[in-house]
Amino acid sequence: MATRTSKARSPDPTTLERMLYYLKLTREAEWRIDHALYRQGKIVGGVYVGRGQEAITVGATIQLNPGDVVVPTHRDFSAFVIRGFSLREIYANWLGRADGPTHGRDGSLHFGDMRRGVVAIISHLGSWCPVACGVGLALRRRGQGNVVVVFFGEGTSSEGDVHEAMNLAAVMKLPVVFMCNNNAYAYSTPAEKQYAVKSLAARGPAYGMPGVSVDGNDVLAVYAAARQAIARARAGQGPSFIECKTFRMAGHSAHDAAEYVPEDLRRQWEKKDPIVRLEKLLLARRILTREQIRALEASIQREVDDAIAQAEASPLPEGASALEGVCCGPDCWWKREN
Amino acid sequence: MLPKLTRAQHHDLYYYLRLNRRVDEQLVSLYRQGKVVGGVYSSLGQEAISVGTAYALEEQDVIGPMIRNVGAVLVRGYRPRDVFLQYLARRDGPTGGREANTHFGDVARGVIAPISMLGEMVPVLAGVALAAKLRKEKRVALTYVGDGATSTGQFHEGLNFAAVEKLPLLIIVENNGWAYSTPVEKQMAIRDIAERAQGYGMPATIVDGNDVLKVYAATRLAADRARRGGGPTLIECKTMRMKGHAEHDDARYVPKEILEKWRKKDPLLRFEKHLAQKKLMIAEEKAAIDDRIESEIREDVASAEASPFPAPEEAARPAWA
Repeated sequence: MATRTSKARSPDPTTLERMLYYLKLTREAEWRIDHALYRQGKIVGGVYVGRGQEAITVGATIQLNPGDVVVPTHRDFSAFVIRGFSLREIYANWLGRADGPTHGRDGSLHFGDMRRGVVAIISHLGSWCPVACGVGLALRRRGQGNVVVVFFGEGTSSEGDVHEAMNLAAVMKLPVVFMCNNNAYAYSTPAEKQYAVKSLAARGPAYGMPGVSVDGNDVLAVYAAARQAIARARAGQGPSFIECKTFRMAGHSAHDAAEYVPEDLRRQWEKKDPIVRLEKLLLARRILTREQIRALEASIQREVDDAIAQAEASPLPEGASALEGVCCGPDCWWKREN
Repeated sequence: MLPKLTRAQHHDLYYYLRLNRRVDEQLVSLYRQGKVVGGVYSSLGQEAISVGTAYALEEQDVIGPMIRNVGAVLVRGYRPRDVFLQYLARRDGPTGGREANTHFGDVARGVIAPISMLGEMVPVLAGVALAAKLRKEKRVALTYVGDGATSTGQFHEGLNFAAVEKLPLLIIVENNGWAYSTPVEKQMAIRDIAERAQGYGMPATIVDGNDVLKVYAATRLAADRARRGGGPTLIECKTMRMKGHAEHDDARYVPKEILEKWRKKDPLLRFEKHLAQKKLMIAEEKAAIDDRIESEIREDVASAEASPFPAPEEAARPAWA
């Protein structure tokens, strides 16, 4: 059931503007990755973007406080930016540079920082969900009202680890918000072959937690649902499940032409672009003018240009340093801070 | 509508319930004499589930029993002697003395040997069901899970797959209140495991697991639906684990009042009462069945105890195909 958004519960204009910024920044930044840098052979490793699904990550992550933790996937570029990673750092990782977050040792968005409340992506689908529960348990025990927001796709929802995590979170009343990015395709598997329920919201009550389904291309609908779930978690009432229905506008990865996706289906979803929808709303409410939006776009272009230039100018790691950072040495940041 | 069970079928059910109970008691006795190799996991109090479900199946169906389902393999044709040989680790047992307790089976007899890792049987039996569907056979696959096993990832993956593919798979959830020392309230935040089914888009039924006729009926209905192409069903059987997790567990963590309450619902006693009330079994008939069981067990225990152990030289064979 889609959550209605009312003006009363709508975020304030500043937040709405920030939302637009993160949405447009993500769209542009990812376009440069899979349409420019990847095709120029400059990316080290695979390329996965969240085109079309940006509202899901922005709508939820923008509400987090310091001390909260996000457990993102490849489709959640904005989570890294919102939590404080710079574009330069992000591009440095994509380009495998020595001054990136993983010092050139891992690619794409495979990085994190517990100080910034971002758990690094774990490749094995679903396995990060029990990890999110572990974080939730720690946060609950600290008793400061912090929450964990964890993202996963509808394909991943079929993984056993997600079941174990949701059950554990429900039994232990952990402050975890399970955000399911249902983008209709798990690689080439369409949703009809992934589950036999009408909506994955049905999974919630099956564990004893609330389950809702929202329009994932409506950032305000996502915001509203996440707001409720986050409040529940902060109040010690336990986890929630939110299915965000959207569409994967790119292939599974840059090397996937996704010919198995019917063209008319893609075109249908193009009309529901989350960014266009928010822009329309901001214009209608006179929060922004067309000129201001254009200025924002130009500013984002420059921001992305600068970040890519900096990253490209950065050195690649030295071969001799390959074994550094594998084991925690005396200079390890964790040792220094604990 | 299910056809009514005949008088003979009622006697069959009684025979298997009592056989299950007596084999179980005999295993405990052998265990206490130090003759069992490995552990003994009793099915005391849960016999109606094993017997009722297995009896509702047809010749060509396949079961995936777990540790408390000796009754099911007895219904499917294994004899007490097979069970005793297995527990005593003798050469002529179903696994040649290589495996412990209920870990035996035979695909040809429609019994998939239990896999220790809880939950794993669900995807495996889903695979059996998939084969049946692809071959267009009227075969049903059935497996058992405890309340604890329903928390495993494998349970989830197996059920979701079975639901999407509409497989002829029956999942019998034996909710006996305890997963070793973990009570159900600490296992899940829902009251009935049947509620899991709504998350997969498959039907579920809840039955009194200590009523063999209710268990039988629910299984028959679900099997018939599966055979018609109606897909999987989850049948939650409410029961109670009347002993510890295993004979080496005295289960002191289980409140005595709970055991007292469930003792009054003993499946064997209830069925005997029912048969007596409905005049489906008279005293002489009962005595004949009881005597038959006693002599079968006496002979089979003696035979098994006299059976040779496997020769050490044979240990490596047949580890590899």
